[in-house]
Order: sequence, then structure tokens, then C-alpha cells
Amino acid sequence: MNLRTARYMIDEMMINLGRRKGANAIAVIIMGLSLLILIVFLMVTLNLASLIDKTSEEMRLFVYLEDGLEREVTQKIQLKLMGLRGIDEVSFISKDEALTEFRETLGEESDLLDELVENPLPDAFRVKPKRGYITSEFLASIAAETEKWEGVEEVRFGKKWFERGERLAKGIYIIDLALGLIIFLSVIFVIYNTVRLTVLQRRTTIDVMKLVGATNAFIRIPFILEGALQGIAASLLAIVLLTAIYTFSSRYLPGLVFMRRDALAGFVVFCAILGALGSFSAMRRFLKL
Amino acid sequence: MSPREQRIIAGIYHLSKDLGRHFSLTEINLQVTNGEFVFLVGPSGAGKSTLLRMMYMDDRPDSGQIVVGPYVSTRVTRKTIPGLRRMIGIVFQDFRLIEDRTVFENIALAMKVTGTQMSEIKQRVTKILTYVGLYHKRHDFPRTLSGGEQQRVAIARAVANRPSILLADEPTGNLDAVATRNVLELLFKINAGGTAVLMATHDIEMVQSFGQRIIYLENGRIARDREMIFVGDVRDRMEESSVSRRAEQLSDHDIGDEEKE
Repeated sequence: MNLRTARYMIDEMMINLGRRKGANAIAVIIMGLSLLILIVFLMVTLNLASLIDKTSEEMRLFVYLEDGLEREVTQKIQLKLMGLRGIDEVSFISKDEALTEFRETLGEESDLLDELVENPLPDAFRVKPKRGYITSEFLASIAAETEKWEGVEEVRFGKKWFERGERLAKGIYIIDLALGLIIFLSVIFVIYNTVRLTVLQRRTTIDVMKLVGATNAFIRIPFILEGALQGIAASLLAIVLLTAIYTFSSRYLPGLVFMRRDALAGFVVFCAILGALGSFSAMRRFLKL
Repeated sequence: MSPREQRIIAGIYHLSKDLGRHFSLTEINLQVTNGEFVFLVGPSGAGKSTLLRMMYMDDRPDSGQIVVGPYVSTRVTRKTIPGLRRMIGIVFQDFRLIEDRTVFENIALAMKVTGTQMSEIKQRVTKILTYVGLYHKRHDFPRTLSGGEQQRVAIARAVANRPSILLADEPTGNLDAVATRNVLELLFKINAGGTAVLMATHDIEMVQSFGQRIIYLENGRIARDREMIFVGDVRDRMEESSVSRRAEQLSDHDIGDEEKE
């Protein structure tokens, strides 16, 4: 294939695109809208994941100490805690600090605490596990171990609540995955069919090209390029609409996360490949090229 | 015009083909030599189109062989078919022009696929369009043309790459009497320029007046092959036929060969 032939192929693509603006626009809109469903779904999934992540990251383990411990014992416990696997941060909360915090939580009703003669709250360590270690099994194992230590009164991490949360997250992921698969397959189906129709509309063009002695490459390449371009145009349309949806809904949902740029670039590339493959296989199957 | 060496451009040898519904082509033998004009006549459904399709190798015979130039039906592959198509011009009853391309672009496409230089394409297409009398319509789209004009564009496209043989499948089937005459004249003119023409038609009466070689296809066999009578005789007949006379006049400025030789 020489340079001139390559230029003629691009000419072909430009003519095809330019002469059927209406049909092409409709194809791009159909593809763009179905891609929008996919990309909105991806963004929802992303937000769900980050929400679940954030929630579990706020998970803390509280190690309550016995009353009136020696300073050294307290320090020893802190060192031992920090030496455990999967621990990110250990901070000491004295009973006074705990009371102040409690007051703050109560807010206006903190007057109730004025009646207290002495502080009933124990000293405690707040333990923050490392990111990858936040599972109910791990936390339970730490709790079981530390509870045996000398000077430790009780260890709590909201076990029931946490386990329920974990199950919920798992359920959400399964539903999300199934839904995602269905959406993904339907989008591929829609794009494949739209591109196929574009190819079939050009049946005469393709027949004529075969009759005048065009090589298969000469016939195929303009269509494949066209399919890729349609894919790119459709994905850009979907991204523009997604941005609009994001801007609108983040007014009501302030923490909403947008797709990352590299993910969006990947999405465009994916759509280009999908369009090109659609053209290619449509020609193979329906025109025996 | 100097006498040429006779050479077979397309040959069909012992061809058989099942056409379905109890129709078939059986033991077909026919050769077309360079510069020859042949009418292939037979009722519709006789297999004329299939025969032509096998000649441009869009279909394969069940048995037997077709040879066009250096291409042999039993050995041709997807890779070599484009080369074969470039030495054949093909014209259909339904014109098969690309709707969203201008007259100029329709013809230019045939040359673009062969990788011809743009300057040469422009020159050649201008010349052919003048030749078929449609240069003034070069920027028009096919649907704005009459049937006869569309067919002339289709013929122009078919000869753009200077084929050695033109296959025409009922090229006048959709045309009225005047357009039919124009198209026939054009085909004669192209033939007079040195291109062999094989034209399939069901219109026996029409072709009998011309004195060209006529092959009758009946019940899947060649019933009669009336060879072209020797040249003098044809000349006499051409005198009788106003169509052929005009064709002869027109052939003075032909497009087929001056650049080839």
C-alpha cells in the first residue's frame, strides 16, 4: 500500500462521513446515548466503591484500659499495639479527653454531665488499622488478642454493625457486577448493530468497489476508520453528557466523585476499538469481505 | 484500422452450473476474442447473468473452467480477483451507481482503487465523460439523471480502467427505446475502439438487426452460436443499420486504445 492509496482511503472515509451527515449523526447519537448508560453506571459504581471504602476507613478499634494503670504499663500497651501487624496509627485518649469529646457529642444536653462527681470514662487507645486490613475477621482477631493483655479492660469495634456493613457491601458489589455485565453486553450489542447498519447502508458502494477491482484492504480500511471515528464521537458525546449530569447532581450530592481522566481516555479508546471491530465484523459477516 | 492478431480474451470451457429450481447450465463452451462484440441471448432465467457473474468470478462453476486473460477460475483467489476485475468492465441493468457520489466521483472511484494518480484520473474522467456526452453533468448526482444517462455513466465507469472486455448484463433492460439506442451506440463505439463486449439480453429481435455474433442460450445449453460473419459482410450490414453507422463515425475519436498502444 503506497501513500497515494492511503490518501484515497482517507478520502473515501471523508466522503462517506460527509455525504451522509444525517445518518451518521443518528448513529453517533444512538451509540452515544447507550454509552452514556454505561459510563453513568461506571460513575455510580465508582462512587459506591469510594463510599464503602471511606466508611470502612473510618473504622476504629477502641482499646479501653483498666482504671488507675501505671504510666509504664500504658506505654507498654501502646508499644505492643503499634507492633501489631496491620496497624496504622495508635492514639491515646485520656479519660478527660474522652469526657470533653462526649460533651461535644451531647452538645446542648451536656449539662447532664455537670451532675457527675467523677469521670466514669476509662482511658483508651484509638487504633486505626491499615487500609487493606479492614475486615471483620482481622479486627476480631486483634480484639481477641489484645483483650488478653494485662491492663486491658475491653476491646470494641462495633462488630455486629461492621459485619452487617461488610455483607451489604458484598451484596452491592454482586448486584453491581451483574448489572454492569448486562449493561456492557447491551451497549456492545447496540454499537455493533448501529455500525453494522451503517455498513449495510453502503452495500452498493461496497459492491461497486468490489466490481471495479478494489482490494479488500481498500474497501475495508475506510469503513474501519469510520467505525473508529464514530466510536470516538459517540464516547465524547457520552462524556459531555456525563459531565452535565455530574455537574447537576453534585449540587445535591456534594461528595460525588467524577471519573478519572485516564479512565475517560481509556473509555474513548475502548469505544474507538469497539466501532472499528463492529465495522470489521459487519463487513466480514454480511459482505463476505 | 489495422487488422489485429486474434487472441482469446475470455474463454468458457465445459462449464456446468446448477442454478437451483431444476435449472442448470450444461457443457457451456464459448470464447470471446479481442475486439469482438458478442450478444448472449436467452429468455430470463436461462442463466445469462450467472454466466457473466462466473466470468467476473463472483461465482464459481460446478465444473469446467473460465479463463479471462491470465486468470483461471479454478485457481483464482481472493487476492487475485481485484486484478481480474480491473481488466473487465461490468455494466448492469440497474446501473449500480453510488447514490451519494457525483458522476465524476463515481467514475473516479474505479481509478482510485487502482492507485492511479489524481491528475491522471481527472484527465481520464474528463475524457470519458466527454466521450459519453455527459461532461456537463459531472457534478450531478445519479438520481438527477435519466435512466439512459445513468447507464452511460455506468459504462463510463466500466471503461475507466481500459478493460480488455466489457460485460454488460441487460444494460438496456430498464431503458426506453431512445435510451436503448444511445446505450447500444455507445457499446458499439467502445467496441470499435478495440474493447471486446459481451452483452447479455433477452431481446432477440433487437440484436438480430446488427449482424454481430449472437450466442443463444436455451435450456441451459448453447443452442446456437452465430459467429460473426466475415468483416465485409459486417460492413454491409453496418451500412444497413443507422445505429451501427453512427457508431462507426463516432469511433473515429475513440478512447480505448490510443494511449494503450
